Amino acid sequence: MRSNKSSRWLAPATVIIGGSIIALAVGIGHEWSKALITEIVTLVLGVGYFILTGRNSDIGAIYGGRADERQHLVYLRASATALRVVLGAAFVCAVISVALNDNYWQSDVIGSVGGVAFLLCLAAYGDNDDSAHD
Amino acid sequence: MLSNLYIMKNLLRDQRTQRGLSQADLAASLGVSRQTVIAIESGRYSPSLPLAFRIAKYFDLTVDEMFVPEEEEK
Repeated sequence: MRSNKSSRWLAPATVIIGGSIIALAVGIGHEWSKALITEIVTLVLGVGYFILTGRNSDIGAIYGGRADERQHLVYLRASATALRVVLGAAFVCAVISVALNDNYWQSDVIGSVGGVAFLLCLAAYGDNDDSAHD
Repeated sequence: MLSNLYIMKNLLRDQRTQRGLSQADLAASLGVSRQTVIAIESGRYSPSLPLAFRIAKYFDLTVDEMFVPEEEEK
C-alpha cells in the first residue's frame, strides 16, 4: 500500500481532532483551564505523530499510510494483541465493579491500557531501519 | 508461533548481491519497504504469493527456484 504524502497528515490530524473533542468536553464538563492543558497535550501528541510518520521504520510506515504487506501484518498482529489486552482490562474492571459494588468501568483506564499495548506491540513486532544493512 | 511453521529458505540475498543491488534498490523495484526485503532475506518473513511471484519474475526465476521450504532442505 504505497500512498501519497497527504497520508502522512492523517494520523496526526486524527489525534488532534480527537484530542480537541476531548478538550472541548473537559471545558464543558469541568474547567476551561484544564481544557487548555488537554489541548496543549493534544498538539504535542499531534506533532509527535507527525514526526513518527516521517520515520523510516515499520511504525512510521504504518502511521504514515505507506505500509506494505508485511507492515500490514505487523499492524494486524499488534491490533489483535491490543484487543486481547483491552478485553483483559475490561474483564478486570468488571470483576472489581461487581466485587466492590461500585462503578469501576473506567473507559480512560481501559482505553489507555489498549493504546499503550498497541504501541508496545507495534514496536515489538516491527523493525526499525537501524537494524537494516546491505 | 504459527508464522514459524511457514518459514521458507530463499535465494533473495544471493540473487540480489550477484546483481550488485542494494536492499533499498530492490525494495523500490518490488514496491515494498527495505525492512521487508531484510525480513525476507533473513527468513523472518515469508512473502505473499503475489509478492513471491514478483520477486521470482524480477530475477527471471520460478517461485519454487527462489523459495524452498525448510523441510525439503533437510
